[in-house]
Amino acid sequence: MATEVVAVPRAQTHRRGAGGAGDAIFRALTFAFALLVLLILGGIIISLVDGALPALRQFGFGFFVATAWNPVTEKFGALAPIYGTLVTSAIAMLIGIPVAFGIALFITELSPVWLKRPLATMIELLAAIPSIIYGIWGLFVLAPFVQEYIEPALINTIGEVPGIGTLFAGPPLGIGVLTAGFILAIMVLPFISSVMHEVFETVPAVLKESTYALGATTTEVVWQVVLPFTRIGVFGGILLGLGRALGETMAVTFVIGNSNHISASILQPGTTISAALANEFTEAVGDLYLSSLIALGLILFVITFIVLAIAKLLLIRLEKQAGR
Amino acid sequence: MNSPLAQPRSHETDDGMPAPPPNRPASDPRVAALRPLADGRGEAAIATSPAPPTKVDIRNVNFFYGKFQALKNISLPLYDRRVIAFIGPSGCGKSTLLRILNRIYELYPGQSATGEVLVDGEDILAPGFDLNRLRAKVGMVFQKPTPFPMSIRDNIAFGIRLYERLPRSELDERVESALRRAALWDEVKDKLRQSGLSLSGGQQQRLCIARAIAIEPEVLLLDEPASALDPISTQRIEELIAELKADYCIAMVTHNMQQAARSSDYTAFIYLGELVEFDETERIFTHPTVRRTEDYITGRFG
Amino acid sequence: MQLYARRRLVNYVVIALSFMATGFGLLWLMLVLSTLLVNGITAISPALFTQMTPPPGSSGGLLNAIAGSLLMTAIATAIGTPTGILAGTFLAEYARTSRFGEVVRFVNDILLSAPSIIIGLFVYQVMVVRMGHFSAWAGAVALAIIVVPVVVRTTEDMLRLVPATLREAAVALGAPKWKVIVMVAYRAAMQGMLTGILLAVARISGETAPLLFTALNNQFWSGDLNAPMANLPVVIFQFSMSPYADWQTLAWGGALLITAAILLLNISARTLAAWSSFRQ
Repeated sequence: MATEVVAVPRAQTHRRGAGGAGDAIFRALTFAFALLVLLILGGIIISLVDGALPALRQFGFGFFVATAWNPVTEKFGALAPIYGTLVTSAIAMLIGIPVAFGIALFITELSPVWLKRPLATMIELLAAIPSIIYGIWGLFVLAPFVQEYIEPALINTIGEVPGIGTLFAGPPLGIGVLTAGFILAIMVLPFISSVMHEVFETVPAVLKESTYALGATTTEVVWQVVLPFTRIGVFGGILLGLGRALGETMAVTFVIGNSNHISASILQPGTTISAALANEFTEAVGDLYLSSLIALGLILFVITFIVLAIAKLLLIRLEKQAGR
Repeated sequence: MNSPLAQPRSHETDDGMPAPPPNRPASDPRVAALRPLADGRGEAAIATSPAPPTKVDIRNVNFFYGKFQALKNISLPLYDRRVIAFIGPSGCGKSTLLRILNRIYELYPGQSATGEVLVDGEDILAPGFDLNRLRAKVGMVFQKPTPFPMSIRDNIAFGIRLYERLPRSELDERVESALRRAALWDEVKDKLRQSGLSLSGGQQQRLCIARAIAIEPEVLLLDEPASALDPISTQRIEELIAELKADYCIAMVTHNMQQAARSSDYTAFIYLGELVEFDETERIFTHPTVRRTEDYITGRFG
Repeated sequence: MQLYARRRLVNYVVIALSFMATGFGLLWLMLVLSTLLVNGITAISPALFTQMTPPPGSSGGLLNAIAGSLLMTAIATAIGTPTGILAGTFLAEYARTSRFGEVVRFVNDILLSAPSIIIGLFVYQVMVVRMGHFSAWAGAVALAIIVVPVVVRTTEDMLRLVPATLREAAVALGAPKWKVIVMVAYRAAMQGMLTGILLAVARISGETAPLLFTALNNQFWSGDLNAPMANLPVVIFQFSMSPYADWQTLAWGGALLITAAILLLNISARTLAAWSSFRQ
């Protein structure tokens, strides 16, 4: 057998190498672009700080607590926008979280199997609709409706109660903090809902089944088994939604009323950081004015960065727990 | 006995005869040389079938997954133009050993090997050894068929193009030749442009074999090539292996003992990372020397 | 028995509430889409696609805005997609467990959810101020920065899904790592990556805030990438906030166009994703 004629040509001699330089180049190329991602974030931070410095130097810490916003006298204070951002986001969370939870519960536990995917898709479509669409819809459809029906009802009922009543005082304008918060709620609930839905699905079926087998109701299974099991992911999803709500611009700009004013009543107009930027930036004249606006942007960035970073860290911990 | 490895080893026994390397089959002339004869001189007098040249010489190989030692001091020869089967229970090191032979374990940090593996006399485990040259010489077919997401023709051409710049017509000839040798040509000659994924499981595996032999290796590593296939495809693959062995040194991992008995010339039984026995297939399956081998073959454990 | 009855009651209430919540979500979806349709359909006419944005009080179309949006979206995709793919490739192929990779992933996810108005501000500082004027280039860059994190994420996820045996088969033939990635892994992950790109395009199609500070707007037709360029979102913003009925109608028309495009892109992305998993 060893003397059999070789049937297969052996072409070892005239081969070229399969290319080692290509590996180094490709790796360097992809590394460069990965680095670019870091540089973009770094660039954002640097340019914001750089642009905001004049205003911060001028006003110091007072910038964060002053309410005046006067381009003429060049006195700027961020309190009203910050307040508006926080309050509208709070309203968005108060409404959005329970609704998102209800939807996630429905999709995971109550919906028939054939309905799950279409339902989840439709909820995700809510997230796909761009902010500006919510904005014009809010301005032309929701605000008049709220002005006509909702706000008078609120003013006449809860508005009469001493104490909380101040939250719901004032003439019904339609536009204002409440409407903005409400639209934000609709915009963030798909994000929160889909994260919740995803983590709910990770609960092992046996865990739920054994609880059902003990005679627990659906509510009890979800409240006492599913939620505790997924609490990290749920919290991360909520923070993700909060991050979105804080940064939303166009929808809020249309319906918040753009008045640099802090009012106890949520039925009154106000402003948020992003709305102020959207409205005033292109017409801002004067370095201090511009710098103050950029300082607002910096504040927004810091707030959202912190929220998103916490959300991300939580989700990383979740993945580590799942053993990825 | 022209193999460079027929040289006497370093140490000698008291007789002045070279000590047999461990784990050589009974037909190995160096072992035959030690059979005591009537006159007690220990000289080679019996004609036994000479062992074929050794293509791959595995010497004292150890393998580690991190701290865990998966292979312990394995030494065995792989003969040219023969099929050597690696058998043994799951997880005992058969595939691990196979994957050392083309150093594919190096894709995964934390996996390492010590010892020597000489292919045509060159130690492929040496740190500077050119891996591309190695893989041009030593081809591999995996358990699960892995056609690339490309046309059938491009699947085969992919490997060829790594090494040679050929004009279109010559490339097509090489593709056809590879497909013929893999017994797939007649089935795909009209649909070379179709995706490799559109073939059946058995066809896909033959495509992978064609792809491997298209680059003209000298050694073929088959990791359970038919275990994911139906019986008819399995039979065709086995027939193919019988044809291919005329041209290549084939090492085949299989958990199917009947397949090893049918298809291979030599068999190595690996258990818990150690080479328990290595011999001609016929001998191992009829008269295994080691008790454990016999237990495995007769199904006392699996 | 009392405890049992109460538990059942609580359960019914919660279930009813979650039905209502789902209905709530779907209701707003229907409301928004139907309003869009009703108000926008009156604006849909050939004129919409053939005439430029008019001065207040007269009729016209959205041609320059549509063209501007298409152009800037195309440029943004052309810049952002290769960037995202290469960065995502690095994460999936060279940095699966490295510290650097984790940092990049972290930063990428922050950028993914960062307010787009901040990105607009950033590009304003870096490009508009430097150049001294608003420009379509700046607008495209701002949109590209929004595209990159989406593509990075999907590219990394899809490449990670490519089975190890497929890669090993290529390596066993002697292919160098970069060929394994470019010629085998990319092809295997192609459909997933395309889905990611489609979703990124859908996302930037509706973005207004970043364009406000970069490309601004342009009343007229402009092919000059160095000048402000008309685009749908900013036009909608301007026209809808105005008191002119003609402008408002056009705004609704533009809104309908954008939403239809986005829904189409989303549906294509989903169909592509479903189709690829079907083929296996």
